[in-house]
Amino acid sequence: MPPGTLATAGPPLLVSFPFDPVYVRSIIGVSLYVSVLAVVLSTAVSLPIAVAMGFSEFPGRRFLAAIITTGMGFPSVVVGLVVLFAVSNQGPLGAFNLVFTREAMIMSQFVLATPPITAISMAAISGVSPDIRDAARVLGGTRVDVALVTIKEARYGIATAILAGFGRAISEVGSVLIVGGNITGPDGVSKTRTLTTAIQLEARQGRYETAMILGAVLVLLVLLVNAIVVRIGDEGVMRG
Amino acid sequence: MSEGDLATTGSREQTNPGDQPIVEAAAVSVAFDGQAVLDGLSLAVEPGEILAVIGPSGVGKTTLLRVLALAIEPDEGTVAVGGVDAWAADESERLALRRRVGMVFQSASLFDASVARNVEYGRRVRRTWRERLDDELRSILRSTDPSSTVLEALSVVGLAEKADQPARSLSGGEAQRVSFARALAYDPDVLLLDEPTSDIDPRNTAVIEDAMAEARDRGIGVVVATHDMHQAERVGDRVAVLLGTGVTEIGPTAAVFAEPTDERTRKFISGELVY
Repeated sequence: MPPGTLATAGPPLLVSFPFDPVYVRSIIGVSLYVSVLAVVLSTAVSLPIAVAMGFSEFPGRRFLAAIITTGMGFPSVVVGLVVLFAVSNQGPLGAFNLVFTREAMIMSQFVLATPPITAISMAAISGVSPDIRDAARVLGGTRVDVALVTIKEARYGIATAILAGFGRAISEVGSVLIVGGNITGPDGVSKTRTLTTAIQLEARQGRYETAMILGAVLVLLVLLVNAIVVRIGDEGVMRG
Repeated sequence: MSEGDLATTGSREQTNPGDQPIVEAAAVSVAFDGQAVLDGLSLAVEPGEILAVIGPSGVGKTTLLRVLALAIEPDEGTVAVGGVDAWAADESERLALRRRVGMVFQSASLFDASVARNVEYGRRVRRTWRERLDDELRSILRSTDPSSTVLEALSVVGLAEKADQPARSLSGGEAQRVSFARALAYDPDVLLLDEPTSDIDPRNTAVIEDAMAEARDRGIGVVVATHDMHQAERVGDRVAVLLGTGVTEIGPTAAVFAEPTDERTRKFISGELVY
């Protein structure tokens, strides 16, 4: 639904906005849904890899680290194209009918967020003093205990990694446009439209005011997530 | 076997034959990048004694302590804790043996947490995951007071009042005292101290030396590696002199310092042998 022609859906507001609150809320919902889920999945995959690589030396480790670091610069439209091919009828995931779905968007954001989360976490974990790991081990910790201590010591770096991954995911335009299709339903509620793709659409159609407001919402969301992550890190200091 | 069995070791070995060594290294060799650090070294630590290991910097005192702490597997030889060969045991049994050993490093190596959380670490990792999860939930839902065991260990080093402070707010000397309390809190059978006072002031040094004596009085075997011969004389019931790649002499502290039987030991103690 064109946001400029305001719908009456949702509770009555005291002030008039140049957009439909339901439309905007649904866009924010889709943006957060795909980005948060993609980052959660990326973190679940990245952290064990970062711990394993930060802890040990093995043949090919540097090569693997170089590949992960290189992944931080993957062009997002190429990732979008690859994911689109994978979920298209001819692709290996064609049977799941994922073209222009949020799940496909999560897949592309997962691919984009995983390299920065892994690389920055790995750097943070490698930076934890070997003395700390030795202490955890000699005091009776198992390998899991030592890994947990190391992750706790590296938590600020890991939080930065997660924020970098979240920043990459939520600010993504190219790949989500390709695999998601920037679709809203007939009721004006977003199906695969995110804040970034909506901003792109609004700006292209000359509705700069709405685009600016959506941009401000996007920035506020990123700041809010940053504040929450930093707060969690601070709380963790005393519990350790 | 006792240290006296070693060809490279001075003959003045005195161990209580009734006591089983709590930790015993026998003919241990360790090399890094082909360079021998320890070669055929043997020594035993009895319960309720302080064994001071002296030697110049870089001679392998830290490596020896890590071997005794089961943190390094020797290339040759055996390490037994409570009479059980640790490296012949399976991994879970070795973990159980390692948990009978406490260690304090040259740097305090405290975790970025409160003092109390640091001190209770050793006890925490010995609990089941279920118990640990319950503790975590309890500490999240409401603030919990440090346990009496934690406070008791901290009181040995005079820092019980700092239990709730972040460890990073402590001075270097205080941090090292907390590190000592952290190793003492889970009641180990043997306590290994790697140059514990080399970076701290005389007052903190005195506190840690008193704490060593208290640990000894509780029946804990204490091994302190130091390059400070005065400290070895002050605190050691026995002293082992580590020169080259092995123990050149081991025995009661006063006797080793007064009448060393090994020529290299005599030169090292008198300052003639400079490394």
